Amino acid sequence: MSADPYTVLGVKRDASQDEIRKAYRKLAKKLHPDLNPGNKDAEERFKEVSSAYDLLGDAEKRARFDHGEIDATGAETPRQNYYRDFAEAGPQSGAGRYESHAGFADFAENDDVFAELFGRRAAGTGAANIRMRGADLPFHLHVDFLDAVNGATRRLSLPDGSSLDVTIPPGIRDGQLLRLKGKGRPGLGGGPPGDALIEIEVLPHPTFRRESDDIHLDLPISVTEAVLGGRVDVPTPTGPVTMTIPKGSNSGSILRIRGKGVARKDGSRGDEYVTLSVRLPKTPDPELEKFVAGWEAGKRDNPREGGGV
Amino acid sequence: MLEYREFCLRAELEGEVLEAWIAAGWLIPEASEGPRRFSEADLARAHLIRDLHDDLGVNDEGIAIILDLIDQVHGLRRSLRDLSAALSVLPEPMRVRLQEELRSRRRPARA
Repeated sequence: MSADPYTVLGVKRDASQDEIRKAYRKLAKKLHPDLNPGNKDAEERFKEVSSAYDLLGDAEKRARFDHGEIDATGAETPRQNYYRDFAEAGPQSGAGRYESHAGFADFAENDDVFAELFGRRAAGTGAANIRMRGADLPFHLHVDFLDAVNGATRRLSLPDGSSLDVTIPPGIRDGQLLRLKGKGRPGLGGGPPGDALIEIEVLPHPTFRRESDDIHLDLPISVTEAVLGGRVDVPTPTGPVTMTIPKGSNSGSILRIRGKGVARKDGSRGDEYVTLSVRLPKTPDPELEKFVAGWEAGKRDNPREGGGV
Repeated sequence: MLEYREFCLRAELEGEVLEAWIAAGWLIPEASEGPRRFSEADLARAHLIRDLHDDLGVNDEGIAIILDLIDQVHGLRRSLRDLSAALSVLPEPMRVRLQEELRSRRRPARA
């Protein structure tokens, strides 16, 4: 657009802001694309008029234009879709529920062809349309913790006896909704079918806990492993890995295993956090008792000191 | 589909105004139960309402009338499209006959 904005709006160069606004309104009322659904020329002219108004309607921009600081194209802003584009695309676009045939019911009264066109639609709720999208079909699906973390395929049985394979994307969360397009109830009068809406319930896991994309796990270790360190097998969502416990590890120490958490959309994974928990032998061991009894430094060590306990 | 907040943001609307538009029936969000959701068509419709109000100086009563007429026009346009598609399957001689009939009706009435 490079036409002179004053010419486009049909105003003099010394027109007041008020005159400019009035001129714009007058043209826009005639040319707004939603008031001219099938008229391509109107749209083109409306574009011209709105960019001219973008420039001249703003006193500051207008001054800059008058001083030659910006040219006539400087103000052009791309416009979103017009409502008519959706209305013309048909009911699937979401505009269908606004469409009204109530005003043409009289045509339907005497003529068979028009009864077919308007009659069925005007019947019922008036503004409602007989061509309707089918209803969404709700499902509830229990997913094992590890299937939710790693992704899986599950088979759903539909009320009509058929079945539906549902791909559970890796990393899905408890309470998330999966929408399967077109797998709901069939549409009315040629309308599109609804969607299957699957609410996911992720079952808890006996050892893993999930926080965001990370997996948390309490790992019991022996006194020997805690004092001397060692290599232990640790379960992760994708199978056990070997982890090194550093010498002198305590209960509550947290070790991180990178990339063993929950799968993300981009293919990466969160981390696994292992919280160590030192356990004495299940049955009291006389030798350990004897050793600790003779361990002088242990008698002076007070872990509560300085911790405010 | 757009959630409530995203819709307000993209339509540049205060929640209060949106509620008023919904109450007036100018916008009909999807789903009667659960959170309300909006389509891109609803968004375009919201922009149209804003255009009418902000740029074209139409008041609320005027907007209600305009929306109602626009909805009727779109209903009519779709019916016309359906009719035109249905007529196109008629055999050639019938279509010609139809054209002649229409032409004769457009001619100014003569005594």
